[in-house]
Amino acid sequence: MTVNQNELLSALVDGELQGKELDDVLQLLNTNEQARRQLQRYQHTSDLLHDHSVSHHHIDLTDRVSAALDDDAAFTTSSNNTAQIIAFPKHFWKQAVSLAVAASIGALAVVGVMTQPENQLIQPPQMASVEVETTPMVVAKTGKRWTVEEQEIEERLNSYLVDHNEYAGASGVFSYARVVSYDMGQ
Amino acid sequence: MDLELVQRVQAGDKKAFDVLIMKYQQRIVHVITGFVHDPVEALDVAQEAFIKAYRAIPNFRGDSAFYTWLYRIAINTSKNHLTSRARRPPAVDVDAMDATNFYDAAELKEFETPESSLMTDELQKTIHQAIEGLPEDTATAIKLRELEGMSYEEIAQAMECPIGTVRSRIFRARDAIDKQIQEIMGEGE
Repeated sequence: MTVNQNELLSALVDGELQGKELDDVLQLLNTNEQARRQLQRYQHTSDLLHDHSVSHHHIDLTDRVSAALDDDAAFTTSSNNTAQIIAFPKHFWKQAVSLAVAASIGALAVVGVMTQPENQLIQPPQMASVEVETTPMVVAKTGKRWTVEEQEIEERLNSYLVDHNEYAGASGVFSYARVVSYDMGQ
Repeated sequence: MDLELVQRVQAGDKKAFDVLIMKYQQRIVHVITGFVHDPVEALDVAQEAFIKAYRAIPNFRGDSAFYTWLYRIAINTSKNHLTSRARRPPAVDVDAMDATNFYDAAELKEFETPESSLMTDELQKTIHQAIEGLPEDTATAIKLRELEGMSYEEIAQAMECPIGTVRSRIFRARDAIDKQIQEIMGEGE
């Protein structure tokens, strides 16, 4: 044991080593039993000064703990429980937004249909003082199928629901949304 | 430095954990004997606490000092030991595993004996006498470090000298104290 090595061990007791010096002293402790004993004596002196010591003998648990941990694999950097950012695919957000829009439309359609009283014709609101000739949009229930009298509106609504159904079916999510299918033929 | 050692353990360097054990084992056993008075059991609980610490070390993020974290593990392990011991009869025989601990157990049986206390007192007195016999600079450096808990940088500022000089003075003090202790303990190399 050189003076420099003992000085490193003394600095190790004080927690004042880092980097290459710490590497060197760890290497020394791995290969030199005398260095381990010297470190323990320095540490024991420090413990005695701080009244941390329970015995005037050195207590060495390293062998016992090492033996008990023999079967434990050494940790790897990847096993560290460090915080990691989950990277979503670039198209994730686009798909998520599309899904959210489709689900909202589907939900609105379901809620709208469910809140209509049976066999009720939907009347446009009457304006109190202005006489305007209105063309009522009439939705009627024929059997299990709703019909809209205006072809353009019916086609647009059909298109929304078919799009929604296709998306729901393709994504594998919300497949139950098929119940809102407007036209069984589509 | 503890954090650097912990990071090395987390990166797979098992031997770095040995240094942490050597550094804190006396303090941890000292803490545990506040709960577990039987010296043999105290060593077993300390061993268990270090094993738990090693297995939990991937989760150590450095939010607190390593010793604070280890201290909590030691306290919990001690309490769990007391709880479990209350539910089971005391061991009456020694199996092969315990047999390997006989050497340490024999030492720990001296914890509470008058002879052991006397020896510890004698060692502490020797250390203080050795410090008083050191050159003033060396004695001041070791006192500031061990008794005041100052870092090398703080000591260097207080003593108006380079950090390397502080390290050297503290080492010389420890070396002198170690020689005195070895004379008493009969551990001369």
